[in-house]
Amino acid sequence: MLRYVARRILQMVPVFIGVTMLLFLVRAPAIVPGDPVRMLAGERSVTPAVRAAVTEKYGLDRPIYVQYYRYMGDLLQGDLGESYQLKRPVSDVLLEKFPNTLKLAGVALLIEALLGLGAGILSAVKRYSFWDVLVTLTTSILVSLPVFWLGMLLQLIFGVKFKEWGLPYLPVSGVSGSQFPALVHLILPAFTLASVSTAYAARITRSQLMEVMGQDYVRTAAAKGLSGGQVIRRHALKNAMIPVVTFLGLDLGAMVGGTILTETVFNWNGVGLTIFKAISLRDWPIVTGGVVIIVLMVMVINLLVDISYAFLDPRIRYTRVAK
Amino acid sequence: MPILGPEGKGRTLRADAWRRLLKNKLAVAGLIWIVLVVIVAVSADLWVPRYLGDPISIDTTTAAERSLQPPSPAHPFGTDQLGRDTASRVIYGARVSLLVGVVAVAIMVMVGLVAGAVAAYYGGWWDAIIMRAADVFFAFPYVLFAIVLLALLGGGVQNVFIAIGILGWPSIARLFRSSILSVKEMEYVDAARAMGAPAWRILARHIMPNAVSPIIVYATMSIGGAILTEAALSYLGMGVQLPSPSWGNMLADAGSFMFSAPWLMIYPGIAIVTTVLAFVLLGDGLRDALDVKLKD
Amino acid sequence: MPPLLEVDDLHMHFFTRDGVVKAVDGVSFTLEHGQTLGVVGESGSGKSVTALSIMRLIPEPPGKVVKGDIRFKGESILAMSEREQRGLRGNRIAMIFQDPMTSLNPVHRVGRQIAEPLRLHKDMDRKAAWAAAVELLAEVGIPQARERARGYPHEFSGGMRQRAMIAMALACGPDILIADEPTTALDVTIQAQILELMQEIQQRTKSAIILITHDLGVVADMADNILVMYGGKAVEFGAADDVFYRPLHPYTWGLLESLPRHDVDDKGALSPIKGQPPSLINLPPGCSFAPRCAYATRSCGDEQAGLVEMEPGHFSSCRFAGDAGFLAQFENRSSYLSDYAQRDSQ
Repeated sequence: MLRYVARRILQMVPVFIGVTMLLFLVRAPAIVPGDPVRMLAGERSVTPAVRAAVTEKYGLDRPIYVQYYRYMGDLLQGDLGESYQLKRPVSDVLLEKFPNTLKLAGVALLIEALLGLGAGILSAVKRYSFWDVLVTLTTSILVSLPVFWLGMLLQLIFGVKFKEWGLPYLPVSGVSGSQFPALVHLILPAFTLASVSTAYAARITRSQLMEVMGQDYVRTAAAKGLSGGQVIRRHALKNAMIPVVTFLGLDLGAMVGGTILTETVFNWNGVGLTIFKAISLRDWPIVTGGVVIIVLMVMVINLLVDISYAFLDPRIRYTRVAK
Repeated sequence: MPILGPEGKGRTLRADAWRRLLKNKLAVAGLIWIVLVVIVAVSADLWVPRYLGDPISIDTTTAAERSLQPPSPAHPFGTDQLGRDTASRVIYGARVSLLVGVVAVAIMVMVGLVAGAVAAYYGGWWDAIIMRAADVFFAFPYVLFAIVLLALLGGGVQNVFIAIGILGWPSIARLFRSSILSVKEMEYVDAARAMGAPAWRILARHIMPNAVSPIIVYATMSIGGAILTEAALSYLGMGVQLPSPSWGNMLADAGSFMFSAPWLMIYPGIAIVTTVLAFVLLGDGLRDALDVKLKD
Repeated sequence: MPPLLEVDDLHMHFFTRDGVVKAVDGVSFTLEHGQTLGVVGESGSGKSVTALSIMRLIPEPPGKVVKGDIRFKGESILAMSEREQRGLRGNRIAMIFQDPMTSLNPVHRVGRQIAEPLRLHKDMDRKAAWAAAVELLAEVGIPQARERARGYPHEFSGGMRQRAMIAMALACGPDILIADEPTTALDVTIQAQILELMQEIQQRTKSAIILITHDLGVVADMADNILVMYGGKAVEFGAADDVFYRPLHPYTWGLLESLPRHDVDDKGALSPIKGQPPSLINLPPGCSFAPRCAYATRSCGDEQAGLVEMEPGHFSSCRFAGDAGFLAQFENRSSYLSDYAQRDSQ
């Protein structure tokens, strides 16, 4: 088991190097439009003296692999460079916004797990019933929705129209300081972010559970005298949930990366919005720093998912046992 | 397992799958919708400017009074803040979406097929390199990567194709590779080999037809995905640039008028949802139609 | 004393989009304590559906018992409530299935799966049930039962898995053990072991066994009675000796003739039964075997009477089975008897 984990971690390393290399090349002056010296210099006018100073300080005249080496060195110490615009360390800026994104993604994951799994299970157990058809149709539609449009729609309906119609309404953006408690601000963005994932989760749960329920061992369980509910709870669910749980884990990674759209629509001050703003301002250190952090997180989550998979499925765990 | 023999049998199997697909009402509905959209979009130049209004140019004389009109017989989807007919813009936007969908997926599939085939058939070093490269791509969250790529390449439709194509090839490559690998092991390939068929023949006649089915399904659903991605990118300002209409940038525009002129936001959105849904349903239907053949 | 199990003119139909599938269309037999009934027939003959009907494991819809009854110790199973039926399943009537690999839950330990019916029906606590499970594993011939019980199904070999399934079925000491093709998925050498095990167990526990198979050879040793099924219908039923020595239905003749024989010179061709089994949705009117029957006449297309007692305790659904002249056609053409007699005398 430990060997399995070690092997997976080892596999992560070349990928991580590949990723950072890619990102670094992205930053390289030759590729990125705009003069890095001017950007780094900020307000100061770029005289030859200034240019020399900046070039010296950031090692811009060194060959690219040296720059990369320096970058990686800094990275491993937690230094992601300094923002062009804000003149603050990137790591500080990101760390500030990080909790907001985590809150959003966390609540979205919760919604996805509860609603998605619930709908999927219900749909599979009551196959071909009204519920099943409803869930299948809804998920198909959700999967085709642009996330940001859904956000706008929700804002329109729950934020504006409800207010017009005198119904209790929800705040439309993440900006606090209104009369709503902070948690309520989370509702619309979290549901928006969760929407597509929930649809996928429901679909996967449904198809997995249906497949499992058609398996022979489920028939055996019934033949032992277990009731329908017992068969599902004790035998079917555990098997069906293995791929579903792994999906949830992987999806969390995707969600963290995808918050960018939701944060933009709702003006939610998280990492995604920060990266997006940085792109328009050509503040590359923040962009690369942000992406590196997110990628690292996604990779760690994927690793955890892989490990948990081995944990849940004894066939993987115990393949080495001698007969 | 039936051996896919010379031309005749192959044609029958395809016809079989086709028939099965046609039985699936939802898939057929999706197909019809797609065909309709294509026809409307392709023929747009012929009738849209005359009957609905030009999607881009502004008639400054009437602009003020025509701006932000709610839907009416003259303007079925209303007008935007510059007096342009929304329906016309939605239809021209369809062109962009369909173009992106098809071209991006074509790029993705071509690169992916080659990569997957090479990895599967030659194995060893090639396999390792290609799969590691795929892993690197997989480590990036999709949307984020697309945005960063476009930030570099600059905005514009061509770059959107490229970006989506670049992001998509690893999935196809992996899918194709595993398809080939599993098919390679099946008995009928052994049987063909026992008959003395040369490698390329085995590949073309026996392995490809079966390995290609999941790709067809995935590609169809990816067109829907590509349309969504293009919309997202245009929404963020990185795809199609104004004033050219794209469903995505229309939605970005509509944001400011969300409360006063909701139609600006609703119709492009509906266009996206229905079109993507059509591809999703078609993809689902294709999967069922082709899968049964494999189960035989 | 009512018989242990009585299946009375059972008709189990499936109502599907494409039509009504008459999976079981008239099956009757009785079973007493300690008896072994061999149910023989091709795939699709309705053997498994009959067994599943007894266990009440057929989902309704789309299935439905349109006619007939099943009685356990005189009481109708069909009339019982769901809870009462569950009380029988795994407890008084147990079933083992064809493929032990897929019939055991891959994510639960084997010991736990064997203990489950004990905890369910006998209200045992976890420890006691586990201990009993280990003992059961030992009884079915699995070495190092204590360690094995903690293992998972994929760590067992095919034969061992089937033994484990048998242990699971026997846990509560059922009156009837239904075995649906228990050896089909196993190697020939293991097959013999499993059958031996079943016989051994039966001697000890005196349970009745319903052994379902398409292989006459399997049934030859073990069965007291034989039920032959075709196209969803019972075509012959009687004591094993009677059915083997004096078969009363052309289908049974065909089955016996098609057995490969090792006492004859290899030059002879095998004689399978020509033709295909009927579609259960579009059953031909009259005798369902008539289209393939070498001895059919026009009257075979008329309404059939079902199983009729031709000799004491020996039933056939062939309308000519009472005619000595008709029966003579078969006896002249085959001498499989020596084969069976050889086995009998061992």
